[in-house]
Amino acid sequence: MPLGLPVDSFNVIVLAAVFVLVAVGLHFTFGMLNVVNLVHGELILIGAYTAFQIQQTTGNVLLGMALAVPVAAIAGVAMERGVLRFLYDRPLDSLLATFGLAVIIRQVVQLVFSANPRTVTDPIGGSFVVGGFNIPWWRLVIVVSTALAVVGVSQLMTRTSFGLHARATVANPKLAEAMGVNTGLVRAGLFAIGSGLAGLAGAMLAPINTLNPQFGLLFLVNSFLVVILGGTGSLRGLIVAGILLGGTLAVLQFMISTIFAQIVVLAIAIVGVRVRPLLGQTGKARRQRRLRRKRG
Amino acid sequence: MSATLEVTGLSSGYGQTTVLRAVRFSADQGEVVCVMGRNGAGKTTLLKAVMGLLPKTGNVQLEGTEIGRWPGHRVNAAGMVWVPQEDSVFPGLTVREHLMISVGREIDRGVELAASLFPVLKERLDQPAQTLSGGERKMLGIAQAFIVEPKVVLMDEPTEGVAPVIVEMLVSAIAGLARRAAIVLVEQNIDTALALGSRAHILEQGSVVETGDVNDLHSRGILERRLAL
Repeated sequence: MPLGLPVDSFNVIVLAAVFVLVAVGLHFTFGMLNVVNLVHGELILIGAYTAFQIQQTTGNVLLGMALAVPVAAIAGVAMERGVLRFLYDRPLDSLLATFGLAVIIRQVVQLVFSANPRTVTDPIGGSFVVGGFNIPWWRLVIVVSTALAVVGVSQLMTRTSFGLHARATVANPKLAEAMGVNTGLVRAGLFAIGSGLAGLAGAMLAPINTLNPQFGLLFLVNSFLVVILGGTGSLRGLIVAGILLGGTLAVLQFMISTIFAQIVVLAIAIVGVRVRPLLGQTGKARRQRRLRRKRG
Repeated sequence: MSATLEVTGLSSGYGQTTVLRAVRFSADQGEVVCVMGRNGAGKTTLLKAVMGLLPKTGNVQLEGTEIGRWPGHRVNAAGMVWVPQEDSVFPGLTVREHLMISVGREIDRGVELAASLFPVLKERLDQPAQTLSGGERKMLGIAQAFIVEPKVVLMDEPTEGVAPVIVEMLVSAIAGLARRAAIVLVEQNIDTALALGSRAHILEQGSVVETGDVNDLHSRGILERRLAL
């Protein structure tokens, strides 16, 4: 083992970043809009195949990655405006609708591109050495892109009027509408952002995976685990959950086995979902006590 | 000349359940029109329907323009605001952010206007609104209506459940607001209705059963009888 390190420590960071990257889009559609968005994996798929198709057509994979974001965003908005906006108050119906849309998209991708495995070229190539391990530069790009995406959406939600209107819409849609917020437009915007980020994740992860029509399913379960464990609507919680689950998976699959690692990740998620509300209540009670003391 | 707010033949409800049946009323700038009735009479539903938050039939005209089919945000942009009785704040948003939703970039002016009405709000600007007391939430709701200089304010039991000293402040603020706007005030408290209202409509099972001058309805004992006091 190089330098006696127990694991490829940078790969732990990469896998944690991948968990956050695939989940950050779902934070908007599921975490904020409460749509159990089973089509999230297929939006990742659309991003990946957009990068692949543009690479095939133009030879420019970076252009393909750049276009993956708007293509997935447009696909997401089309689904939201065409189907899901009528189902916000009907969670079971929206679950069924997103499941149906996911199947349709997978079948269309298979029809167009076949089930044969496809590859997207690593746009920069090369690697560097950390702790005796060879790390491809592209993996560093994934980590940096994830950090930028998280900072970007955090700034969007806290420092812009769209973010303010989005938080108001999520908290109390009727009141927001009555206060002049076009809640329909805000929801479409949130779906566009969530879908665009899913497309980005697909394009970024395509060079380190083999593409096939099932590609999106690889990430769907883990995306939901991260968002649920992090607390729906909490970007900070999502990052912590992504690092915890992704990091655990990376360490255990290196030290023991992939199957055992996935079992432990699921167990952490289940225990975490049970424990997190208790921690949240404690924190909330503490904050409220502090406020009452402050106000005398 | 048409009234500031003219509602005719308004029917509305939730899903298959009809709550309001052919309600008719109007309100002019400078007057407070009280909508009174027992619990479940349809008062809150009436305000939500007028505000464009519920499906409905009938007509709603704002200064002569038909707005009955408009969504809530467009109704708001036309100059009508709603001050709800419950769920009146956005959990997670600060007091300042609440005011920003109303006035956008003119937040400094909004803060000063709100503070001129209720100085305590200036001390709470960075506090999450869900941690405000019940009275402070009512103040915030009225301040949000006040700072956008609306044509019509739909107000749902603004004094319900708050201390008498706060009620005095709220009544005074509403009276000031009424000089510049038409106010439709849902109220069960007869003292508040008498202090603020000019006309009253009494709802029973979704229909208007009495209409008239508030003082007249009170002196004839109709308010007390209809509200079963």
